[in-house]
Amino acid sequence: MRFLKIAYLNLAFYAAFFAFSLAAIPALTLFMVLCALVFPRRYVMKRLRRVISWWGWVVIHLYVLSFSLVQIKHEGIVKRDAKGPFIFVCNHRSVSDAFYMALLPLEVVQVVNVWPFRIPILGIVAKLAGYISLWETPFEEFAAKTSQLLRDGVSIVAFPEGTRSRDQLVGQFHSAIFRVALETKIPIVPLCITGSENIPPIGSLLLRPGCIRIRQLTPIAWEEYGHMNPYTLKNHMRQIIIDETAVMEK
Amino acid sequence: MAEQDIVNLVNGVFMESFEIPGEKLVPEAKIFTDLGLDSLDIVDLVVALQKKFGVTMRDDERVRAIRTLEDIYNFIQILKQENRK
Repeated sequence: MRFLKIAYLNLAFYAAFFAFSLAAIPALTLFMVLCALVFPRRYVMKRLRRVISWWGWVVIHLYVLSFSLVQIKHEGIVKRDAKGPFIFVCNHRSVSDAFYMALLPLEVVQVVNVWPFRIPILGIVAKLAGYISLWETPFEEFAAKTSQLLRDGVSIVAFPEGTRSRDQLVGQFHSAIFRVALETKIPIVPLCITGSENIPPIGSLLLRPGCIRIRQLTPIAWEEYGHMNPYTLKNHMRQIIIDETAVMEK
Repeated sequence: MAEQDIVNLVNGVFMESFEIPGEKLVPEAKIFTDLGLDSLDIVDLVVALQKKFGVTMRDDERVRAIRTLEDIYNFIQILKQENRK
């Protein structure tokens, strides 16, 4: 009976997801093309990134609506008028984690794995919006791109584990984004996500009921981390996220 | 250079450059999974080891085979012997 309920809720979600995407993506594409004809590139990119956030926002709220048992709780998310940009670093348990970044009311670009670029349509949109594949980008190019985005006022979201955790533990962090932080002196904001590990679990598209919690911690200014080297900085941030997720899961 | 000297100096590099506590620096410690270094940290490590031991290892293909702390001790030993010849 429980399985039937989950199957029904998944059908409801995916039907709504595809129906919405089929209607929204062509409409938003047309909107972006019209914008590109009239407005300068910087404005168009800003709009495109907001459009991606709107789409993500609707998708995550679709499964709140279609899944009566799924809750999303978020705490401390920056306000729209926050003085950015920021570098958000986040633990990573599920493919759905990237969607929760739509809750951030800022212009953001995500540093992602290779596979999101291979998703039909979405991969193209992500590339157009300047999303960066860490594994396919040499560090010098990665640093140049992210530094330019930060200079333009665009915040960066990174999942420094590089891949989803298979055991809910926070994996070792990669230092690339922390090297950029040390160079650009941008505040780093730890974001902790719990409960997403089964929504959906690794290797499956079946969403399961649960409660996803997203907690944003206080931004850490360069004055607080600038004395660290990249290795100690990444481990310092990792420990902050480990400690906070443990508190959240108590 | 005695084997123990190499161990002490390599461990010293890890403690100074990466602030890794000495008790974690056991020969079987895996550099990536146990000590948490990534490919960019390895570049920093190579630079620090080159400076400490006066050897050149940056373009040495054998660096790619290093997995554990013990591999580093052995590799430095080999480089030192090669330098002596």
